[in-house]
Amino acid sequence: MIREESKEGGMQNQLGLMGDQAIMFSIMVALGIGGILALFMALFWPKRWQVSYRMEVYFAVLIGALGVYGALNSQSTVAKYWADVPDIEKLAVQSGNVGIDTDAKAFDRSVTAYLFQWGFIFINPDGSATRNALAVKPGERILVHVVANDVIHGFQIPAARFMTEVDPGKVRSIWFRAPEKPGKYLIQCVNYCGIGHYQMKAWLVVGDGKPGPEGSKHG
Amino acid sequence: MADWNDHENLTWAPEDLISKTSFKDLLFSDEARLIGLKGILLSLIMLALGGVMALTFRTELAQPGIQFFEAKTYISALTLHGMIMVFGFAIPMTISIMYYMLPKALGVEKLESPWAAHLSFWTILAAGVLLIIGRPDFTWTFYVPLSLRVAGSTVWMGYIAIVLVGVSEVLAGITLLNTARAWKRKTGGRWIDMPLIGWGALTEAGFLIISAPVLSLVGAIMLTDYLKITAIYDPARGGDALTFLWMFWFYGHPAVYLPLVPIIGVLYALLPRLLGRPLWSQKSGVVAFTLLFVLGFGVWHHHFQPNVTIHGWIQATFEFMTMMVIIPSSLHVFNWIATLWSGPISAETKNWIPFKFTIGAIFMIILGGVSGFINGQISINTDFIHNTYWIPAHFHTIFLGFIAQMSMAAIYFLFPYFTGRMFHPGLANLHFWLWQLGIFAQVMLMFALGLAYFPRWVVDYLPLPEWVVPQFGLTVAGFVVGLGFLVFIVNMLISARRGEVVTEDPWPVPDRLGDGVPGTDAAAEAAAPAE
Repeated sequence: MIREESKEGGMQNQLGLMGDQAIMFSIMVALGIGGILALFMALFWPKRWQVSYRMEVYFAVLIGALGVYGALNSQSTVAKYWADVPDIEKLAVQSGNVGIDTDAKAFDRSVTAYLFQWGFIFINPDGSATRNALAVKPGERILVHVVANDVIHGFQIPAARFMTEVDPGKVRSIWFRAPEKPGKYLIQCVNYCGIGHYQMKAWLVVGDGKPGPEGSKHG
Repeated sequence: MADWNDHENLTWAPEDLISKTSFKDLLFSDEARLIGLKGILLSLIMLALGGVMALTFRTELAQPGIQFFEAKTYISALTLHGMIMVFGFAIPMTISIMYYMLPKALGVEKLESPWAAHLSFWTILAAGVLLIIGRPDFTWTFYVPLSLRVAGSTVWMGYIAIVLVGVSEVLAGITLLNTARAWKRKTGGRWIDMPLIGWGALTEAGFLIISAPVLSLVGAIMLTDYLKITAIYDPARGGDALTFLWMFWFYGHPAVYLPLVPIIGVLYALLPRLLGRPLWSQKSGVVAFTLLFVLGFGVWHHHFQPNVTIHGWIQATFEFMTMMVIIPSSLHVFNWIATLWSGPISAETKNWIPFKFTIGAIFMIILGGVSGFINGQISINTDFIHNTYWIPAHFHTIFLGFIAQMSMAAIYFLFPYFTGRMFHPGLANLHFWLWQLGIFAQVMLMFALGLAYFPRWVVDYLPLPEWVVPQFGLTVAGFVVGLGFLVFIVNMLISARRGEVVTEDPWPVPDRLGDGVPGTDAAAEAAAPAE
């Protein structure tokens, strides 16, 4: 499954189309519909209208205010997300240093994901590795250090409403909360990384959280 | 308010220019219309090629599983589709339409620096040939280090093509800039009073001359990295892929405006011409072009996932600038709708094919603008937008929905002037409706696939219902658009030889008020905005 739908305490992190972002999304959809209505009314409504500059100024101010609100809103959401990543992780993201400390107490599980053409290897907290499967427990907060070792890849977990682009030689540290509902959730590469890009998939396996044969066979 | 000479300034005597013109003249004449036509013809060929590529991979994607093409063939078709449509169709087409219209619309004698326009044409043609022979398979954004490593023996042609595209664009910018300056020289007027198609040319020239050299530099560095002379982009040899991203998108974001700005200028000329009354506001258009130019250079980072590649105030600045782009974009749309609203629109005008395509284009840019605003928010971008089908949905709304449709409006408008014959209205209407249906279905299904996290650049996909159904619909919609284009080509070819002969202005000023007096100045004044 791609995403567990609306289960309380499920996949949510602060990013994604929910809360304030959903309001902005709705406002923009409404604005689009309003614009199209105005266009058709201008064409077919018999009444003609001398639009004033004042009206345009009001319109521009309204649009600008929406832009400012959208940017502030988004920045605040993003800041909340990064606030949960320990400082050392934030530094790693900014400086791109490889080989960071993965001892992050705020998370239930800290995993390193290696991306290469065209697959994923996950290094688990106990040092074991699984290929194309990340095994976690329901509801766990997971910190993932994503590393690409050849070309630019994208690491997306639709169920977690998150993706990161990852450039070779850099580490991107991200976190998400695992779904409460056991099952398999898609992980995919969303940056073109060669002709095998379409095969570059893995699974987030929500169960007992133990890596092993169960995880490996999902590749 | 703009001087009400728009009608006169965009009217030519209908003549069979094509029969009168030798092939040599078409290729080498300095006459603005012929330079424009040459570019339009090449761009249409490119559109056909790019369209065939699209239908090729659309057929493959109609259902999951690999049916017809191996992954390499698929991605080559996809790469050529992107490169041909952006560099071979959209940018040259809109600039060529501008070449055709600009001298007449500005009231200057000729297109200035025609040598640069010619060189630009030949350079882009050479780039196109190199691309087709080189068959690069690393998408139109040619991200390193992939594009340095998947190289076949002819990939160096792709790098040289990238250099040539940049050169071609700078040359086009020189022609547009000098033609806009010719208006200033001739009239001695204030820049703010220059017709808005001139402002489109000026803005475009600025984008081209500042950003395109960076594209050439990127291509040159890729070539020297590939030849192991330098190691600037390849991390395996001490380079940095992020350097490429910063440089490429410094060109790349203005680049997405390169086909947009000239065609906005053309719309500003065409809309009042077809309505037979002035634009609602000249000043508003100038402000919108200026803002678009300034903001257009400050948003490029939003293309490479700002949530993880930058933080702090730099991230906030790029996001803020990106969100502010909605202001000039909205001002343009506001101006067009206000122009439509501020006076009667005759039934005759509403039936004109160029007018219909203009309205279709405005409809689509509203959709595209709204989706762009959504893309700009980093938080949502990190969810379902970045590199899912939401992105092609957004840019197809603009490129196909707005730019291609507006280009069609201009071609239908100009056709009787350069052939001396009218196109077949029934076929043109069929083209129009096939495109409205096909393009709307295409972009909506792409948006739906984006919301369902469908990734870009895949030849095969999981058989999930939320992916399979829209993908099939998308393929059908693609063929509807392709059919529309075929109808257009057939119409043009047949009508150029057998269409009804046109001796008078094919787009006369309509009798808006129904009083038997077309286009009175009093009616024109009535359209002016209240201060």
